[in-house]
Amino acid sequence: MLDRSAFLSYMSPMPAPFPIPQNPAKHTLFEDLQGFSIALITTAIGLTIIAQLGFITGQTAGLALVISYLTGYSFSWVFWLINIPFYALAWFRMGKEFTIKSALCVTALSILVAVIPKWMSFDTLNPVFGTVAFGILTGYGLLGTFRHKGSLGGLGVVALYAQDKYGIRAGIVQLCFDAVLFTVAFFLFEPSRVLYSLLGAVILNGVIAFNHRRDRYIAS
Amino acid sequence: MQTADPKADTHSLLEDAQGFIFGTAMCAFALVMLRDLGLVTGQTAGLALLISYMFKLPFGWVFFAVNLPFYWFGYKRMGLKFVLKTFACVALISVFSEVFPHFVSFETLNPVFGAIMLGFMTGAGLMAIFRHGGSLGGIGILALYLQDATKFKAGYVQLAFDACLFAVAAFILPLPQVLYSLLGAVVVNLVIAINHRRDRYIAM
Repeated sequence: MLDRSAFLSYMSPMPAPFPIPQNPAKHTLFEDLQGFSIALITTAIGLTIIAQLGFITGQTAGLALVISYLTGYSFSWVFWLINIPFYALAWFRMGKEFTIKSALCVTALSILVAVIPKWMSFDTLNPVFGTVAFGILTGYGLLGTFRHKGSLGGLGVVALYAQDKYGIRAGIVQLCFDAVLFTVAFFLFEPSRVLYSLLGAVILNGVIAFNHRRDRYIAS
Repeated sequence: MQTADPKADTHSLLEDAQGFIFGTAMCAFALVMLRDLGLVTGQTAGLALLISYMFKLPFGWVFFAVNLPFYWFGYKRMGLKFVLKTFACVALISVFSEVFPHFVSFETLNPVFGAIMLGFMTGAGLMAIFRHGGSLGGIGILALYLQDATKFKAGYVQLAFDACLFAVAAFILPLPQVLYSLLGAVVVNLVIAINHRRDRYIAM
């Protein structure tokens, strides 16, 4: 199974930005299970916090939040349904194991976001604190998911497909999607909500950009 | 994609700073849950919690004060850089844990879910602090110092300390709170035991 950075270096003439270890230690099944449990629960708490504050984020989760605010349907169902079309593409482009792992992660996250509010709800929640906490918690959760070779499906697969097929860099596709999503959100919601959301999205991406280094965390 | 590419084996100052802010914020958020549920934990943080419950003192100040005697051992055993990093982390936790309750409080918090969650978050926070060469000071340093001086294993010193702490807590907290506290402490230690691997996260 190729992880994203290995996939990028394999699929494109671009050299990898850093050397990728050739024979990294493997996680055991138990290690993967505890990794995904911690990562997905933490991600779900971050999403619970911004859902309570009415904020959004980027990528498929952000699109699902926007739709759930507009229609009143629960985030969990919208997020779960939105991801379905992407599995078809993932199946052919990224392989069976990646697709199944993605579907399991997306399903687990959807269930967690639905049940966590029964166990945990906030009395006071400062919006700046909430959006920063979201960025840190969900950034950490995604990092754990990636380090254990999982994915939350969705747009990343399309971005890699676009890179492969049309030579557009995957990161640019994702950035464009988020730019469109946040622009639309500015017209739909109060600007303050969107600005708080932007802060959270920046912190989330900062956590991943700083810490997702295959040359430092070398197990796969 | 990484544009600036610092060396794999050493963290830059900025990387350490974000690691410590992440780690201490995670631990401080977990402490908000811990105090909301009226639980304790192990080590110096647990001692500070017990003192703050018993004498109705603000946790942040107690935690900061409880750690002061240990920096000398830290300096002798681990050097100046480690002590400065540890001091910064302890100070950040002290401040965050006083400030966060103004920004976040819980309407409902299931104690089993809360204990597991705070275990995950404290485990994540501590691991980030350790991976960036810091610590939360206290008993761990003393334990290492004693291990050097007397050959008494550091792990046993910490275990004995926690055993005393939980024995005291059993007298002053209701039984369910003691059990939830134990659950949280077990989760923290499992998260670290499984994931804190210097052979997998190799940067210093």
